[in-house]
Amino acid sequence: MEYIVEGIRHALRLIFSLDSEIFGIVLLSLKVSTIAIFLSSLTGVPVGFFIGVSEFWGKKLLVTIFNTLMAFPTVVVGLLVYSFISRQGPLGPLGLLFTPRAMVIGQFILATPIIVALTISATQGIDPRVKITAMTLGAGPLRTAVTILSEARFALMAAVVAGFGRVIAEVGCAMMVGGNIRGYTRTMTTAIALETAKGEFAFGLALGFILLAVAFSVNLLLHWLQSKRD
Amino acid sequence: MDTFQFEIRDLTKVYNGKTVLDIPHLTIKKGSIYGAMGPNGSGKTTLLSMLSLLLSPTSGKIYFEGIDIDEADKHVLRQKMTLVLQNPFLFSTTVEKNVAYGLKARGIEKGERKKRIMECLELVGLEGFEKRRADELSGGETQRVAIARALTLYPKVLLLDEPTANVDRRSVDVLEGILKELNQRFGITIILATHDINQAYRLADEVISLFGGKIAKSPVENLFKGRVLREKDIFLFDTGRIKVAILPETDEVSHISIPPEAVIISHEPISTSARNSFSGEIYQVADGGDSVTLVVDAGEKLTVKVTKKSFQEMRLNVGSRVYLTFKSSSVEVF
Repeated sequence: MEYIVEGIRHALRLIFSLDSEIFGIVLLSLKVSTIAIFLSSLTGVPVGFFIGVSEFWGKKLLVTIFNTLMAFPTVVVGLLVYSFISRQGPLGPLGLLFTPRAMVIGQFILATPIIVALTISATQGIDPRVKITAMTLGAGPLRTAVTILSEARFALMAAVVAGFGRVIAEVGCAMMVGGNIRGYTRTMTTAIALETAKGEFAFGLALGFILLAVAFSVNLLLHWLQSKRD
Repeated sequence: MDTFQFEIRDLTKVYNGKTVLDIPHLTIKKGSIYGAMGPNGSGKTTLLSMLSLLLSPTSGKIYFEGIDIDEADKHVLRQKMTLVLQNPFLFSTTVEKNVAYGLKARGIEKGERKKRIMECLELVGLEGFEKRRADELSGGETQRVAIARALTLYPKVLLLDEPTANVDRRSVDVLEGILKELNQRFGITIILATHDINQAYRLADEVISLFGGKIAKSPVENLFKGRVLREKDIFLFDTGRIKVAILPETDEVSHISIPPEAVIISHEPISTSARNSFSGEIYQVADGGDSVTLVVDAGEKLTVKVTKKSFQEMRLNVGSRVYLTFKSSSVEVF
């Protein structure tokens, strides 16, 4: 019990002294996850929208696949990306293994199905009158699509935040393709895993608090945006 | 410009093997108000959806100002008209942005946009509502914003699906006034779907009665247009050809309907308490199973129903002279 209290005390000291190593780790985590989510949103939202609004053969199966992929084990994604970018892999010559870029790729693969699946349900949840109204007012296909997305904006924000929550907190993939290299590819989660294994509870706890704080702030931001409403 | 606003030929719409609309021929004149009337499921909404190019016909043709819509750019045609839904949807933003929507879609510049928005909000009596959030409005206000949103487009055709179904009585009067004014001031062709016969006849120049997806000859039989005359304490409705005693003591009647079942037919004038008695000649006879439908020319052609038995006992036939008698209380007024 004693060492936990001591750990928390030490963790708070590390946070408030703005420890440069912790600071660097947090920054890298945010950078990698933000880039990955940005790219995921850019692809996932249009793909999800298209699946959501159109009718085609095999749509149900596709939706089920994306729903399943939401729970894609991070180590499996790690393994997959690893096999592609390792020296013998097809993308080996690009030298991506154990770089932040590799982590972005892994996180992109993890987040995209979440954003796609949640965008599908967001667009399907939209009142069918939105499309009809846009059409009767003379909107073309593109403007109609943008209008539907705009009506679904809060659900879309939630989709993006869910994706971010998944990747900022995942450890398996970042560890495998990033390599947890100090000062280069060490993220909050990989650092926590390592420091705990080493018995450095204080360091791990400090990062744990920050990780929680980040997740909490992002959700708070979403909540604030939703309550603000336009 | 002698083309019709719309012309429909052999139009059908089939859903899941069921024909929901079947109109062999229908023309809509420019600058008139049409009331598409009928009960739920009669095909009113389907008709409006097809005229506004939201739905494609299963077969048949629709011409817009003489142009076959299948051969035209639908997007261009859609921008010439607009449909206001029964439960209009307002985008979750401000009233102003809602009204601006169609104008932006047409690439109309900001100054002109602002001008039209103000003009149309004023027209529907919602000036000062620009910054209000659309989802905080009442049902009547929502309907009026939707109409303003449609009007800013200066459409040639305004289609409305049950425009007053979800609004309070006071708003109904306001809305009907707006529609009349629009039609008179700007010559907009208006087609509205309604299940309210009174509204149809109050507003429309022509009423299209739909029943089971088909155009019915008349929704209510023996329907006459005219005005009320007063003779002493009796209220008479003058159709131009005959004068019919009516019960409600009001001048605000523009149409009457005489239910065919309410009319008594006889060879000789009969003395009863009924105020209406006309003599006429049987013009047409149609067998309807247990009953026979007669059309009697008594100044106006009146449809009368008799049982087959009476028809045979009375030896009625085309050309027979008969008397028609019915109570003033049986006359329906609109």
